[in-house]
Amino acid sequence: MSDAHADQDWRAWFAENGARLRLIARQWTRSEADADDVVQEAFVRFWKHQRHLPGNPNALVVTSIRRAALDLLRRSDRRSVREQAVGADMETVSWFEPEADPRLQSLADSLKLLPPEQREVVVLKVWGDLTFDQIGEQLLISPNTAASRWRYAMEALRKHITVRTHD
Amino acid sequence: MTDPDHDLEQALAALRPRPPGPAVLARLARDLDAPVSARGPIIAWSAGLAALAAVFVAAFLFLGFRGEVEAPSYQLVRADQSPADVQFYRPVRLADGSFVRPVRVRWDDTTRWEDPRSNTRLINYRPNDQFALLPLETN
Repeated sequence: MSDAHADQDWRAWFAENGARLRLIARQWTRSEADADDVVQEAFVRFWKHQRHLPGNPNALVVTSIRRAALDLLRRSDRRSVREQAVGADMETVSWFEPEADPRLQSLADSLKLLPPEQREVVVLKVWGDLTFDQIGEQLLISPNTAASRWRYAMEALRKHITVRTHD
Repeated sequence: MTDPDHDLEQALAALRPRPPGPAVLARLARDLDAPVSARGPIIAWSAGLAALAAVFVAAFLFLGFRGEVEAPSYQLVRADQSPADVQFYRPVRLADGSFVRPVRVRWDDTTRWEDPRSNTRLINYRPNDQFALLPLETN
């Protein structure tokens, strides 16, 4: 992740980081369209008001994404029926670019099968580049709980991949 | 100590999340590019006006402050002294055998000063009280 503190063009920074931000946003949204909205709102807030703040820009932007996602969920509760229908359709959309390596493709497919609380820890650690302490702060859980969910997720992914490879 | 999940984590990191669509980029450009050009002149004008206002305030404070600290120029316009109030007491005999008469004198001094520029007045009122012993001749 390049330095967001410097006077960098937002396009260059977003080109480098936009995809992983969207994947993070997707963990807390019901559809691809909602993830786009959240990324837009969170990135604008981050770039305008937070990127010059001291500290880890990763944690700042993830906080911004989570807050925007929770706001959107609260706002959209009234239209939840329609969202659920759209969300069900969007579940067929892959979160990742297609991979030529079948093992990687299997891993990408398996990630969606994880329980949400394990999956968000994996996404925040791998694509959010956060430590277990920072993940705990984001999700309001202890670092030990975050690490425990990570271990369960790794076990589950390993099983999924093994089964799919043998299939 | 080796991390047993390191290979799996590396494989996950090799996955490439799908980037946001061009619609997101267009909306970001609307939010992050357009306001800069529109706000530029506003910020410049605001800064200029604020600086001008600061100069006026500084000048006003500086001149006002100078006027306040300038010493008033009072001139004596009147001086009064009240009639003396003299009280004589019974003669008393001192330790050496001589006689004296105690006398008490009281009066007031009042001076009035004015500054014609500011039309201000200063009145100085000072009461006086003196006590004396007048020697008496005895045969």
